[in-house]
Order: sequence, then structure tokens, then C-alpha cells
Amino acid sequence: MGFILGGLTGEEYDRNYSDAQLLRRIVGYFRPHLGKMLFVALLIALNAAALALLPVLTSRGIDGALARGAQGVEVFNANLPVLLLMVAAAGLAWTFNFLRQAITARVVGDVVLTLREDVFDAAVERDMAFYDDYSTGRVVSRVTSDTQDFSNVVTLTLGLISEVLIVAIVFVILFSINVRLALITTAITPVILGAALAFRWIARRTSRQAKRVKAEVNANIQESITGIGVAKAFRQEAALHADFERVNAEAYRLGLKQGLVLQSIFPVLGFIAGLGTVVVLYYGGSAVLAGAVTRGEWFLFAESLALFWFPLTSIASFWSQFQDGLAASERVFALMDTEPQVVQTGAEPVPELEGRIEFRNVHFAYKPGSPVLQGFDLVIPAGQTVALVGHTGAGKSSLGKLIARGYEFEKGELLIDGLDIRSFDLVSYRRQLGVVQQTPYLFTGTIRDNIRYGREDASEEQVLAAARNVAGGDWLDSLPAGLDTEISEGGRGISMGQRQLVALARVLLKDPAIVILDEATASIDPLTEAQIQEGLETVLKGRTSIVIAHRLSTVRSADRIIVLSHGRILEEGTHDELLAAGGHYAELFEAYFRHQSASYDPEGLSGPARTPRPRG
Amino acid sequence: MTTPAASTPTSEFRVDSAHTYDTSTPVRWIVSHVSRYPLLLVGFVLSTLAFAICSSLVPRIAGLAFDAVDRPDAGQALLTLSLLLMGVVFARGLADFGTINSIERLAQRLERDARSELTTSLLGKSQAFHDRQRVGDVMARAADDVRQLNLMFSPGVQLILDSLINLVTPLVFIAAIDVRMLLFPLLFVAAFAWALRRYSARLDPVSTAMREAFGHLSAGLNETIAGIELVKAAAAEPYERRRFAQNARAFRDQFVRQGDVQARYLPYLLVWLTFAATFGHGLLLLGQGSISVGELVAVIGLVGVLRGPADLSIFTFAMVQMGLAGARRTLALINEETELDENPEGYAGVMKGDIRFEDVTFTFPGAEAPTLERFTFHARPGETVAIVGQTGSGKSTLTKLVNRTFDVDSGRVLVDGIDVRDWNMESLRQQISVIEQEVFLFSRSVRDNIAFGLPGATFDQVVAAAKAAQAHGFITELPQGYDTVIGERGATLSGGQRQRLAIARALLTDPRILILDDATSAIDSATEDEIQTAINAVLKGRTSLVITHRLSQIRRADRIIMLDRSRLVDQGTHAELLERNELYQRIFQRYD
Ligand SMILES: Nc1ncnc2c1ncn2[C@@H]1O[C@H](COP(=O)(O)OP(=O)(O)O)[C@@H](O)[C@H]1O
Ligand SMILES: Nc1ncnc2c1ncn2[C@@H]1O[C@H](COP(=O)(O)OP(=O)(O)O)[C@@H](O)[C@H]1O
Ligand SMILES: [Mg+2]
Repeated sequence: MGFILGGLTGEEYDRNYSDAQLLRRIVGYFRPHLGKMLFVALLIALNAAALALLPVLTSRGIDGALARGAQGVEVFNANLPVLLLMVAAAGLAWTFNFLRQAITARVVGDVVLTLREDVFDAAVERDMAFYDDYSTGRVVSRVTSDTQDFSNVVTLTLGLISEVLIVAIVFVILFSINVRLALITTAITPVILGAALAFRWIARRTSRQAKRVKAEVNANIQESITGIGVAKAFRQEAALHADFERVNAEAYRLGLKQGLVLQSIFPVLGFIAGLGTVVVLYYGGSAVLAGAVTRGEWFLFAESLALFWFPLTSIASFWSQFQDGLAASERVFALMDTEPQVVQTGAEPVPELEGRIEFRNVHFAYKPGSPVLQGFDLVIPAGQTVALVGHTGAGKSSLGKLIARGYEFEKGELLIDGLDIRSFDLVSYRRQLGVVQQTPYLFTGTIRDNIRYGREDASEEQVLAAARNVAGGDWLDSLPAGLDTEISEGGRGISMGQRQLVALARVLLKDPAIVILDEATASIDPLTEAQIQEGLETVLKGRTSIVIAHRLSTVRSADRIIVLSHGRILEEGTHDELLAAGGHYAELFEAYFRHQSASYDPEGLSGPARTPRPRG
Repeated sequence: MTTPAASTPTSEFRVDSAHTYDTSTPVRWIVSHVSRYPLLLVGFVLSTLAFAICSSLVPRIAGLAFDAVDRPDAGQALLTLSLLLMGVVFARGLADFGTINSIERLAQRLERDARSELTTSLLGKSQAFHDRQRVGDVMARAADDVRQLNLMFSPGVQLILDSLINLVTPLVFIAAIDVRMLLFPLLFVAAFAWALRRYSARLDPVSTAMREAFGHLSAGLNETIAGIELVKAAAAEPYERRRFAQNARAFRDQFVRQGDVQARYLPYLLVWLTFAATFGHGLLLLGQGSISVGELVAVIGLVGVLRGPADLSIFTFAMVQMGLAGARRTLALINEETELDENPEGYAGVMKGDIRFEDVTFTFPGAEAPTLERFTFHARPGETVAIVGQTGSGKSTLTKLVNRTFDVDSGRVLVDGIDVRDWNMESLRQQISVIEQEVFLFSRSVRDNIAFGLPGATFDQVVAAAKAAQAHGFITELPQGYDTVIGERGATLSGGQRQRLAIARALLTDPRILILDDATSAIDSATEDEIQTAINAVLKGRTSLVITHRLSQIRRADRIIMLDRSRLVDQGTHAELLERNELYQRIFQRYD
């Protein structure tokens, strides 16, 4: 089974941003919370200062008490202020933490929320060409998981602030003790920073890979679960499992790599810092022996050094840890920045439409090189019912998709009521458009919710009326709980024909100016369909409608029938005209009716086909 | 169920080599996962200890060096001690690497194994189970919840062990200085343990709610994206946006709640109070002259070290709780009972294709009324039986009982005279091919999609099947022919093209029983003729159940069974039914 390791090359729209670009955008998300962030930083600083001060206070306190020759309980009493200060510090430390956690949680929560809303908006803005290329699992993983990883950026940044403060304080102390030793220490700092910067690159690369493979895992699971029915029917669970194990093993490999890279920086930096301690110990000791430094200074210095290393290595490791968040935000921003193929030149709110549709010399291809329409011309006057017939792949659905503006055409013009479709605000345009697909998608919820979908404001009576208008409403009786029947994701829980009926009701409720029925009744039995037809004819009156069907009985009553082949109009006219003309339509119709006639024998028509005999 | 497996839950699919874990509680489950890698676990503990020892040696050696400058051979001693320190620093680095290497490996394996276990179990769950799930929620569990297990160990457990050492070490040193000074630190340890319990207990519901909210978010989003075409067509973006924002906000609110629990974290208070109490205690002892100033300062310094564990635990215990919540959600899926069993000991012979329904009643789980009621019919080997009836009458459901997608409530479905429940599921399903109503294609190449049911098929076999399904022509016109990768929704193909791929896929497996559920609804009559010819040729000697609304197919069936509202109301040939059955006449009158 072909398993494409697409995950590691990322998606086509993925791009590499520089840290500066990413930071600028990230900062943008934090700007509204700047006040709170600064407050938290201040708290952290105060906390750090209190921590640094306390040991000093205790030693001063004891020394003072003893110097005055205190004895017994006096020592305790003399230090009472220090003790009280400590109790106060306890309360303060708790309060600081309280405020810090509460505020940080709100800032992080809100930033992630905003980011999620933005990336969601970007995702639903993407056109159908985008969704042809990128699977649901991949998109979902960007919106949920990657935004989550993004929040690490915040937590890390807040931590960074306190580390920087501590380093600054200790640095001053070190210099105040002994400049020469301080300079030796400072000499090691660039080594640490250098190592950290080197790590940054590897960290970014491995993080990027880890995130891609994570999306790959998501996509794999998503597809396996969606296609589980097919896997069961063909008893191919093992193949899916093998595929999954491959992706999972790859995810393990890259996840481990990323984990090790991100974590290894700590021992490396710890080792460098340890070497620094050795150097200070040796040269400091030598300097003491040479009389250049006092022993006390040396001692104090070496003690303070430990205080210096820890935050310094934290700062140094920050950049590499930060890469995980950056790699995540890179993926999020890439999704937001994807160039859409469907480009609107304007966003004019669309007036109430009459429904006149005009294709003017339209050229269209899904993929460059395989044109579907080449110089297509067609005018559908407002209110007309047009049936499209022709072999599968002729381009019938594509016409519907262009009218729904799911795809961009390359050349020509598509005019609705004489207005350029590119100038429309798509949401307000599509509100006046009703589309029913062959395999309609339904959402989790009741049948009622699904009929109401897109028209949340519709009243109960309107929903009921729309449902009744489809095939006289008889179908509602065969549903376990009528309109209250619960359906699962996609439409599982009711039969395909019932799904089509729901979709039809949905469109009726929407009351659109233009209706596109794309094989909308293919899975419905002829009796029910006949009932639908009666209802539809009254309902479609006054609307422009495009009906695509293979069942020619469905097509017959259209105002106009268009025969398509390879993206070209072969014939058009009414049913009677076309039959009389004796062309392609007549042929199709003939074949169709021969099909339905009592004496039809397909075996007799075409020669015996070769039988595939795999395996034996 | 005839042969229920001994202890493991029933499943339609199992991996022989798979490890079995204790799934009774989340903690036991995690333990049984971790205990697969005892070496990593031991390595982790040992290297963490080694790291702690090396770390405590550093100040000792430095202390020796400070003293050494008084000695006559000061220069030499200093050099020796510096080299020694270098050795210790090096060893400490190695130990640190060892810790990281073992815990990271352990954590990543835990994630990998848990995900594998979950996915394998999902593959083995019945269709009825999957019908109940929301894909996005399952994805959230398989992708993100199991990831919490990883984070629970690295850095969670890693830092907890660190904290433990940093908790015990100062206590030991304090005891070495003066046992009395242990009074408040020990009280602290007790209070700390109590506070952590309380903290965990408070985090627990929040973590669970947070993971649930995440699952919800993912499920909603997955639906929106899967149905994006409808979302756009219905101009429902504002609605979807609102729904998404609602879910995202629900998650945010849980996140904030978690922050609020973390804000009330008590050990911060405790550790500072301990600091003050120990200091006061020490001052009293100092006043009595029973400890020295140096000792007091040292003890205070050591109490300060306790701050480390107190600081870290706010974070590590939150990770552990998230891990447990993730484990709980993962286990909930794994442990969910599924109705069917693959029955490996069952009958596994070459199928002749005799299908018999005996008084079969079937009700969908959760539904009130049965979808099929007291159903009896017989299809002999080689027969073609057409199934007709109005939309929703139960036609598709009927066919799903044959390959045991669902099990009957009462009555029996027999294939070759053997109850399908007594068949080996593998053997049963491999000999039955279904061309389903809603064609699902995988986002793989055309070739792989056709060969899905027979992964070992040669290219020639694939092409032959495609030709028979009248798909070869359009496939060769695709940009990369048979290697063209199909989009997820199969969206790069038109409806009829997809159906033809599904037909090719089914033909390739050379089934004994073929089920066609409205398999040609999107195909025009002329193409259908050609396909039909191929299918007919394939069907010679095979049994087929055909659901269709096309008279051309109905007519050539050996027998037609007619459904109305979950009951079999009539069976016979086209001519017979047309003559005697009023509903049949009504359904097909438009054609005559
Ligand atoms: N999303 C898509 N991406 C690429 N090619 C497509 C896509 N949808 C359809 N096609 C191709 O465009 C042609 C016309 O398809 P379509 O309009 O769906 O035909 P039909 O007449 O059956 O409705 C077909 O050759 C088909 O393979
Ligand atoms: N997965 C399911 N869960 C619950 N009810 C279902 C499910 N699938 C179908 N049904 C119900 O069973 C009835 C028969 O469905 P189905 O067999 O698909 O009808 P059809 O005759 O159109 O093929 C329908 O009324 C539908 O509501
Ligand atoms: Mg059906």
C-alpha cells in the first residue's frame, strides 16, 4: 500500500518564517494584554527581589544580635522583625503566585482563544481547491494542537523575565566582589550563548519535523476512522494498522529526536557551567596563592557563581525551548497566510437576486493542464429550470461548483444578474443559493437542526412546512423519531435517500433564488422521487434551477435541457425538441428507455467483457 | 456470541504480536505500560541519583579547595582538586544525559504504545460503535490525550523524582547538623504531602473537563471541516464561527479554571512559613548555645532548598493530572464494549454463496422500533436477488447483516447454512464484497484504492478490474494516471467516477457474494450498461444482492424482494410483482 511520507515535507503552503517575523506577529497577539503581562512581570521581579534579599536579611539579623551580645530568648526577640518579615514574605509569595497564575491563565487562555478564532476564520475562508488538497485531519491538527503548543511561548516568556532579573542582580554582585574573577566568568558566558544559538537551529528543524509528523498521525487516524466501514467490508484492518504503525513509528522517531534535542541542551549547558566553576576555582585559588585576591572574596565569589549559572543556563536554553512554540506558530500562520485561489475583487453585499446566470467564454481547470471548460458560453434566464445531462465527467457538476464559487476560473466572466460574481460578498451571495449534493453532508444533531442549518432563525412551522413540501412529508414517518431523529456525524444513522430528502428540505427552507440539484435524488426510489417532483415543481417555480440527473424521468419536465460532453454543449432545447431533433439526447433517452423497458437485455447489447480473475 | 475471548474485550480485529496491558484503571494501565521497559526505568532512577550525588559533590570539593590553600602543597592540591572537580562535572553531565535519554525514551514510547493500543482497539470495534463516535473526538484522544502521557513522564515524573531528591537531601543534611532542627521541616513534609493531595484532587475534575473540552473542540471542528462544502453552500460560516468560538471559549474557561486552582496552591505559603519557623526555632537553640551561628545559617540555607520541590510541584502535579485525565479518556474508548468478535476459531471454508435469513429482527442500538422485522428469505448460490423498497425501508441495513457489520437481535442469518456468527469473520468478510452507497476512497493513489481489498494485486490485475468497471478510460486521462492521488473526499473525481472505482475495488477481490448498494446511482445509462455487463460476467456463479432503483437491473434479477417499512412484503420476479403488488406498481409505474 502506498504510504506517502508527505508529512515530512509539510504542506505546499507551509513556509519558513524568520524568528523576527514570527515574533512580530506573536507580539501582536499579546499587545491587548500588555498591561496584565507587565503586572505579572513586576510581580515576578518583586518575588525575585524578595528571594534574593531574605538570606541577606537573616545573616545580617543574626550577626547583629550576636554582636550586641544577646543571649537566650533575646536572640529570638532581637530577630523578631526578621521573623515577621519572613511570615509576611510567606503571605506575599502566596499572593504573588495567586495573582501570577490567575492572570497568566487568563492571558494565555485569551491569546490562544483569539489565535484559534483567527485560524478558524482563515480555515473556513479557504476555497474548495484548498480542501481538495489538504485532508481534514491536517487542518484540524493545525487549529487545535498547534495553537496549543503556541501557548508554551507565553509561559516560557514569563519565566524568562524573572531569570533575566536574577542574572542581572547576581551579575552586579559578582562584579562588586571581584572584577577580575567576574571577567573570567563573563568570558564563559559567550560560550554558553553560542551553544544555545547552535541548538536553536537544530531545535527548530526537529520541532518542525515533529509537528509535521504529528499532523501526519492525525491525518492517518482521521482517515482510518472515517473509512473504517470500507476497511471492515474488505477485511483490511491489518493494512490500515500496518500503515498506522509506520506513521506512528516515524512519529516516535521524530518525537524522540525533538525531545532529546530540546532536553540535551541542559546537560550541555550544565557541563559548560561546571567547567566555568572549575576555572574559577583553579584560577581563583591560584590568585589567592599569588596574593592577588583575598580568600574571602574567592570564597564568596565561588558561592555566588552557583546562583549565576542556573538562571543563565535557563536563559540560554530558552531559545531552543522557544523553538517548539515558534514551529507551532509558523504552521498556524502559514495556514492563515495561504493564498486563496478564489479571489474576490470586491465584497459588495448582494442585492436580492433574480437568478440570471451567464457564463461568458469561461475557461476552467481544477489542475493546470487538464481543462474542464474551454471557452464555455451559457445564458440561463432568471426563473428557468435547466437540466444538465451527459456522461459522468462531462463537467456538469463543475458548472454548479463554479456558480457556487467553490473554485476560481481562469478566464472569461461569470455573471449573476449581470453582475460579476467576483465582486460579490460570498456569504451574502451564497445565502441566495441552494445546493443539494448527491451525498449530502449532515451534522450531528436532529433532523430538525439539519433542515434549519444555514437558517437558524427559521421557526418551527417553517421547518415543518419545508419538510412536508418534500415528497409530501411521508418520509418523516419512516424515521424513528420524525424530525427529532438524532443523526451522527456526516449523516450516519439515516439512509442515503433520507439524507437527500433532508438536504432538499434544507434548500426549500432556505428559499434561494438559484437552486442547484446535483444528482440530488439519485438514491431515492422512483415513487418517492415522483412525489418529490410534484412538490419541487411548485417550489422551484420562479427560481432559477439547475438540475443534474441521470434518471431522465427527472429531467424531462425541465424548461430546457442541455447536453454536455467534455465541457462543451452538444445540444440544447426542450425534451420534445431534442427528441424530435434525433441527436445525442434522443440517443441517451432511447438508451435509457430501452433500459427501463420490459424486454431489455444488456448482455445481448455489448460483447462479453473480460473478467478480472485475480489470485485465482 | 459463540466463542468469547477469555479475558480481553471482544474485538473484530487483533494484532497477534500486540502486548496486552492492564486496562482496569488509568494508574494500573500506565504502570503496565511503563513496566514494559524496566531497563529504561532503572536507568532513569540510577542516573538521576548519580546526578544528585555528583551535584552534591561539587560544593564538597570546592570546600576542600578553600581549605587547601592553607596547606603547604597548596598549588598541587588545588590542581588535583580542580581536576577532580572537572571529573565530577563530567560525570554529572553524563548522568544528566543518561537521565534525559532514559526518561525521554520512556515517555515517547509510552505515547507511541498507548496510541498504537488505542488505534488497534479502534480498528477492532464494531461499526455500531463507530457510528456513535465523533471522529474529531476520537482523533483528539488518539493524538492529544495520549500525548499527555508523554508529558506526564517527561518532564512530569522526571521533575518529581528530582523534587523528591531535593526534598530528602536537605532533610538528611539538616539531621546531620542537628536532629532537633528537623522539627519544622518534617512538619512541612507532612503538610506538603497533604497540600499536594488536596491540590491534585482539585485539579482532577478540572483536568478532565479540560480534556473533554478539547475533545469537544476537536470534534466540532472536524465536522465543520469535513462538511466544509456544505458550510460554504449554506453560507453558514458565521454560525460555524459562533459554534467554534463557543467551544474554544469553553476550553479557555477550563484553562482559566485550572489557573485558578494553581493560584490557590498552598505549598508556597507552607515553605515560607517553614522557613520562618525553622529560623525562629534555630534562634532559640542558638540562644541556648546548643548550635552555632554557622550551623543555623547552614540549616536556613538547606530549608531554602526545599523551595525547589515546592515551586516545581505546582507544575509537575498538574502534568500528572493531565496525564491521568488523558489516560482515562483513552481507556474509556479502549474499554468500550463492542458487540462483535472476530471469532478466529469459527468456520472458514470456501463460500458457496447460499444466503438465508430466518425470522430475522434487527434494531439499531438506541432505536425504539426494529429496522427489520421477522425477515425470512433465501438466496441460492449464484442467484441475483434485487432488493427494492422505498427510501428508508431497510434495504441497506439488510445487506449489512450478511457480512456481519451488525448482529441480529433474534433469528439467524446463515451463509452456506452456517450462522454468520459462527463464521470466522476474516473468512466471511473476505468472501463478501460490498459496493457501498456512499463511496469512501482513501487519499492514496487510484491504484492503491482499487487494490485496497487485495494489497498484493499486480498492476495488471488492477487494470483489468478498472477496465471491467469502465474506469480505465478516465483513469488514464487523470494527470498521473493510476498514480494520481485522490483527495480526501474523493473530491477530485465526479460521483460516477468514484462509483466506478468502488466497483473496480470490489471486483478485484473476487468475492463469492457481491452486494451492490445503489452502486450505479450516479452513472449514466450507457456507462451503466457497460459496467453491468462486466459485473454480470463476474457474477456468474456468485450470489449477489442488488439494491437499485433501475428497472434494467431489477428485471434481470432472478428474484426481487420487496421491503416496506422494515418488513418483507413480497417476493417474486418482476413480472409477478408487477402483476400482483400494488406498492411495486406504484414505485415503478413511472417507467411503464
Ligand atoms: N475537485 C476536482 N479536482 C480535480 N479534478 C476534478 C475535480 N472534480 C472533478 N474533476 C474532474 O473534472 C471533470 C469534470 O467533472 P464533473 O464536473 O464532476 O463531471 P460530471 O459531469 O460527472 O458532473 C472530470 O474529469 C473530473 O475528473
Ligand atoms: N446507523 C444507523 N443507526 C440508526 N438507525 C439507522 C442507521 N442506519 C439506518 N438507520 C435507520 O434505519 C432505517 C433503514 O435505513 P436503510 O437500511 O439505510 O434504508 P434504505 O432502504 O434506504 O437503504 C432508516 O429509517 C434509518 O433511519
Ligand atoms: Mg440505502
